[in-house]
Amino acid sequence: MSDRPLAALTRRRASLPLLAVVLCLPPFYLDAFWLRIGLFSMAAAIGAVGLALLSGTAGQLSLGHAFFLAVGAYGYAWLAGEPGPGLPPALAALLAVLLAGTAGGLFSPVAARVKGIYLGIATLALVFLGHHVLLTADSVTGGFNGRSVPPLTLGGFTFAGSDPELTVLGVPFGAEERLWFLGLALFAFTWCTARGLLRGRPGRALAALRDSETAAAVMGVDVARHRSAAFVVSSMYAGLAGVLLALAFRRVVPDYFSLALSVDYLAMIVIGGLGSVSGAVAGAVFVTALPLLMTRYADQLPLVTAPGSAEGTVGPTEAARYLYGAAIVLVLLYAPDGLHGLARRTRDRVRRRRTRTSAPDTAVPASPQPAAPARPKEHTP
Amino acid sequence: MNPTYRNRHRTAQAALAGALALLLAATGCSSKAESGDDSGKAADGLRTGPGVDADTIRLGALTDLTGPYATLGKSIVQAQQMWADEVNADGGICDRTVEIVVKDHGYDVQKAVTAYADIAPGVVALPQVIGSPVVAALLDDIERDMMLTFPQAWAASLLGKDAIQVLGTTYDVDMIAAVEFLTRTKGLKKGDTIGHVYFEGDYGANALEGSEWAAGKAGLKVAGQKIQATDTDLSAQVSALRKEGVKAVLISAGPAQTASLVGVAASRGLKVPVVSSAPGFAPQLMKTPAAPALAAMLNIVSAAPAVSSDLPGVRRMVASYQKKYPKSPVDSGVLSGYNAAQLMGADLKAACEAGGLTREDVVQAHRAQTNADTGLGTPQNFSDVDRPASVETYVLKPDAKAVGGVVNVEDAHAAEGVEEYLSAR
Repeated sequence: MSDRPLAALTRRRASLPLLAVVLCLPPFYLDAFWLRIGLFSMAAAIGAVGLALLSGTAGQLSLGHAFFLAVGAYGYAWLAGEPGPGLPPALAALLAVLLAGTAGGLFSPVAARVKGIYLGIATLALVFLGHHVLLTADSVTGGFNGRSVPPLTLGGFTFAGSDPELTVLGVPFGAEERLWFLGLALFAFTWCTARGLLRGRPGRALAALRDSETAAAVMGVDVARHRSAAFVVSSMYAGLAGVLLALAFRRVVPDYFSLALSVDYLAMIVIGGLGSVSGAVAGAVFVTALPLLMTRYADQLPLVTAPGSAEGTVGPTEAARYLYGAAIVLVLLYAPDGLHGLARRTRDRVRRRRTRTSAPDTAVPASPQPAAPARPKEHTP
Repeated sequence: MNPTYRNRHRTAQAALAGALALLLAATGCSSKAESGDDSGKAADGLRTGPGVDADTIRLGALTDLTGPYATLGKSIVQAQQMWADEVNADGGICDRTVEIVVKDHGYDVQKAVTAYADIAPGVVALPQVIGSPVVAALLDDIERDMMLTFPQAWAASLLGKDAIQVLGTTYDVDMIAAVEFLTRTKGLKKGDTIGHVYFEGDYGANALEGSEWAAGKAGLKVAGQKIQATDTDLSAQVSALRKEGVKAVLISAGPAQTASLVGVAASRGLKVPVVSSAPGFAPQLMKTPAAPALAAMLNIVSAAPAVSSDLPGVRRMVASYQKKYPKSPVDSGVLSGYNAAQLMGADLKAACEAGGLTREDVVQAHRAQTNADTGLGTPQNFSDVDRPASVETYVLKPDAKAVGGVVNVEDAHAAEGVEEYLSAR
């Protein structure tokens, strides 16, 4: 009986390097289209983890995530670029993340005062304000046409198509292939730090805050400090996601950082399952990659015609929208606790079936997460 | 318990080693590894690159068939497809058939950027890219890939890039022509005020640049009203302009805004001439209640003639389009799409004659055209990247009965002061 958790642990330890190897494979096989989707998904995952921390765990609804992404993306482009201070790109990336954190910190007094849906509306203002500034502050943001993003360099190695030319195992490594590994590294960093945060004291304090502020305060949680810290940390993840997005896009334009993007991020954490890191990641991949892939492959479906062919037919983009909408409805209907909850239930069921066949007395499901599964509780008035 | 642990550990190591071996072995047969350099020589001795093989030339189109510019996108896609069919029926270009790969991005930047990554390795040029934010996001990629691109956007900020060609005039040139038209025919004189309602962003900013310059020259004052693409009720703007006592109004926005502006102005008794940039009108407006007011007050400046014009090239095109797509309206998108495709065809032919169809060859052939005339408007000069391809504009007027809803008022001519403006810029 006592070797069960240990076995689970070793299995986990074995599957982690395997997963890492599998994630390293795509650049060797897939072309730029797939790698870009992967990059966008990784960036979205980083941002979604940040939002999951803020909205899922700490229970602060934020519609302003697009703004912090923009701060990260534009911050990097400006700090590393021309016109701008022209700092070394690695330093600029770090500063951009800090800048996003600062922006979150500046906004946190507001976050400390208003709650629930009211905070959502207050953060909404950030998106509109940000979009307006991006359009009008030409010298910094490049106005409507945006600005190009200088490639990241780390110790003489550039994450771009050349300099140095690189061929690994016969595969020429261009910008996408290199950025893939950068994205993986940043994603791993996010994964580890966010899990550490959530499983440690801060995570428990934030969850306590979400469930009842009074109870949390009685337990000795500094309410104001934790609320604003959640905002700062979440904005920093958003900033990091923004930097990676900027690198993947190679050019940042204001129209991308709109309200729709914020809503996408909210959708990610709801679909993934509120309050868990892996859920946010799954949701991010779902929301980012699915529409892109569906648009790409919808023309293989029956009854879907080539774009722009004739009157009254369904084109690939329309078909993709229907399918995507249906997928969201299905997920929310059959997995109200998100993809994360769905995965956990499936795992438990499989394990229960397995233990039932071998030894019925060991049917104690090992909880994969010490933290209690987040209750989807929208607001504490 | 211990042996179990060791066993597990060993399996883990074995799995990892196996996976690594698999990776090494499998990359050997990865298709990416052997692809190497795409450019080479085809059997007929032609230099070829991405998008061109022994019997096809592939062109790409990043369009919007499901977003705010769906009508425009559809017209252009159909017009260009019609061109491709005509060319192929004639034996193709360079003994190759022309194929257009259409991708719909629905006015979404992220979708467009991924769609570009998807089609870019397989096409030689892009005769259609819709959406200013999309064009903006792709500027660097297009430049790097030397992919000759005809964006369906006319901002002067897109000039000066070798691979990107704004066809016809830019928004600022159009507005200079508009101001000149107002002063010449509508009796505006020194000291008068004109209003300019414009979209936030590239389009509006560039148009305002032109109107302010021209107004400064003519001694007029410009009262600017910035609006958003989502504003479709312009009552507030009309009141503000009325308060300013404007004698004429320029509008650089979308069709919905033009209809609102003209409709509201007419109903409130602000009966002044209104001149719109080319994207501000669509034939569908002539089926709205604003139609009589539009017919009475509106003029449109455009680098392209009206679809109803009696230019032989235009008439031929309209006839075959109506035959091929009897249910689709013939609008300015059809004309501009077909024109772009024809210009692209001319570039491809020239590049073929010069011995190569790589992307660089196509751009080079394009930049060598100093008098490209498709018979669908004015000839264009592509040799100077910093200058609009043409400075001549038509003045059009809505007419519900005409094909495409507009008729020509003035033939193409270069407005006074345009040369001075361009050299001063």
